[in-house]
Amino acid sequence: MTTPILEARDVWRSYQRGAETIHALAGMSLTVQPGEMVGIVGRSGSGKTTFLNQVGCLDTPTKGTITLCGTDVTGMPEKELVAFRRDHIGFIFQLFYLIPTLTAVENVELPMIFARERDRRARAREALARVGLSEIHALPHQLNGGDMQRVAIARALVRKPRLLLADEPTGRLEHGARVAIMEIFRGLRAEGLGIILVTHDPTLAAETDRIIELRDGRIVDERKAG
Amino acid sequence: MEYLRLAVKNLLRRKTRTLLTLVGIGVAIAVLYSLLEFQRGYERGLNAEINQLGAQIMVVPKGCPYEAATIVLHGGKWPRYMEESYFEKIIATPGVSQAAPILMDAMINPATHDNKIFLGITEAYGALRPAWQIDGAAFSGPAAREVILGTSIAEKLRLKPGDTFRLRQDAAGRAAGKDDADLTVVGVLARTRSQDDGFIFMPLHTLQTLFKLPGKIVVVLVRAENIDAPSLERTTQALRDLGGNMNIFPLSELLNNAAQLMQVTKVFVLAIVLVAIAIGAAGVLNTILMAVFERMQEIGMMKAIGASPADIFALIWTETVLLCAAGGLFGIGIAVTSARGIEWFLRRAMASQFSQLPETALIGVSPGVILLCIGLSVALGVLAGFYPAWRASAVKPIEAIRGAN
Repeated sequence: MTTPILEARDVWRSYQRGAETIHALAGMSLTVQPGEMVGIVGRSGSGKTTFLNQVGCLDTPTKGTITLCGTDVTGMPEKELVAFRRDHIGFIFQLFYLIPTLTAVENVELPMIFARERDRRARAREALARVGLSEIHALPHQLNGGDMQRVAIARALVRKPRLLLADEPTGRLEHGARVAIMEIFRGLRAEGLGIILVTHDPTLAAETDRIIELRDGRIVDERKAG
Repeated sequence: MEYLRLAVKNLLRRKTRTLLTLVGIGVAIAVLYSLLEFQRGYERGLNAEINQLGAQIMVVPKGCPYEAATIVLHGGKWPRYMEESYFEKIIATPGVSQAAPILMDAMINPATHDNKIFLGITEAYGALRPAWQIDGAAFSGPAAREVILGTSIAEKLRLKPGDTFRLRQDAAGRAAGKDDADLTVVGVLARTRSQDDGFIFMPLHTLQTLFKLPGKIVVVLVRAENIDAPSLERTTQALRDLGGNMNIFPLSELLNNAAQLMQVTKVFVLAIVLVAIAIGAAGVLNTILMAVFERMQEIGMMKAIGASPADIFALIWTETVLLCAAGGLFGIGIAVTSARGIEWFLRRAMASQFSQLPETALIGVSPGVILLCIGLSVALGVLAGFYPAWRASAVKPIEAIRGAN
């Protein structure tokens, strides 16, 4: 039996606001298998991004367990969490967050710099080729939104993560660019990556294997997409 | 290396801000470098001038000994005299190896502030200047109407051996009954790079006659037989025991006093410079902190893609240290390339405290001072960068990224 890429069990994330306790996540459980693309939908404040941050090891759940690639990361010390995140998880953001003074290929090299890896340039070129970007020496401002997102995807993929977390990856893109980015995601799914895609866009969610709908930090609906 | 490259690119992102901060640090470091160099140059120059005097003790008429020392070192008019006969007592004092009596006078053009400094000397003066090279000849006699010119004054007056130096008294001189005279230039000194280059030398008795100062001298330079401190002390005391209305002045004392005076000035000025550097540090801290706040989302992203807090700390710290080190180098560059201008300004500014500063260039290139200034710039970066780097390293990726959405 294949080890799931993600197993989240009864995950809670609570905040204290004065005397009131806010439950951004209230007992959320989700399993993602290799080669599975899961869409998470819901209104603003429903807990989508909070969940992404928990499974992305960017935040620690108040309660519950998160197991990534067979390793329980709940309560893992910060230093180990950084290394784990670096080695297993790729992030894609709505606003790309490319460094404006670095070229496309230099932006893709960043995770490898932090991981103290060699042969960075060749691997960055390879990652950019994988997402179909040829203007590797262009600065971000010289690229259109779709190409900037390609660079961000290449940056997320360059260290060959097992799980890709995408927060509204096509939120700022034109229709043509959206289609192209989804095509890339489909290709990555076929290669065995687990993908969690947070979106407001129903057409994008329809492209996933499973759609999870959140409301008030809980799963209110789970259905097969398409 | 990669952090250095990233730091450079980040700094170049906001060129104007970076440049202004760099200039701020640069100016403070330039001032610091100039002052340290000026002080070193002053001590070096004064030391050299005293060494060039070829004497260890100065005997001058009563009055301010520092003023007398300045006149002796740089030439000038000091209307205090002692009797030439006193010289005989000095030369006979135990511990004295050689002594040279000197009369000094000057003609100053009030319109141009152009000085002609005359030194009346004897053969003994030459004994204190073994390195002198004269193009021409020495004086033919103790009262010869002859001059030997320092190289600078010879160039200025366009005179060479064999020419005639026309001594024309100014109004004050004529009123005092001093004589005009035509004197033969018998020699021109090879450049000594000392005060001698600007002097007009003539036999002591010639100067006494022409300037109506018969039997007068201004200073006696004394070379001691032994120059170790206890021996010098004994010789000084023996000279003091001669009595008379004289100041017996060991030149080491002059050096020490000048160094102390310079030290006091240096401490005061350094305090001001350090305040300027502290302001510069606050500017750097503010610049980098502002940059950190502006790049919160970017820092959050870097953490999300695998940067550890230590990576972020190192990145921001490198930027700050680099900025300060570049500012320091820029400041040293300014100081070295503008050394003449800065020296001119400092000479003017310090003229009230140091009536005469050494003639030699005071601000030069000293590797030790350069290293000190660069070290200080780097230390400034290390200190000023600590807080912004810590703030950046403590950024929570989620909150940072969420802040932009």
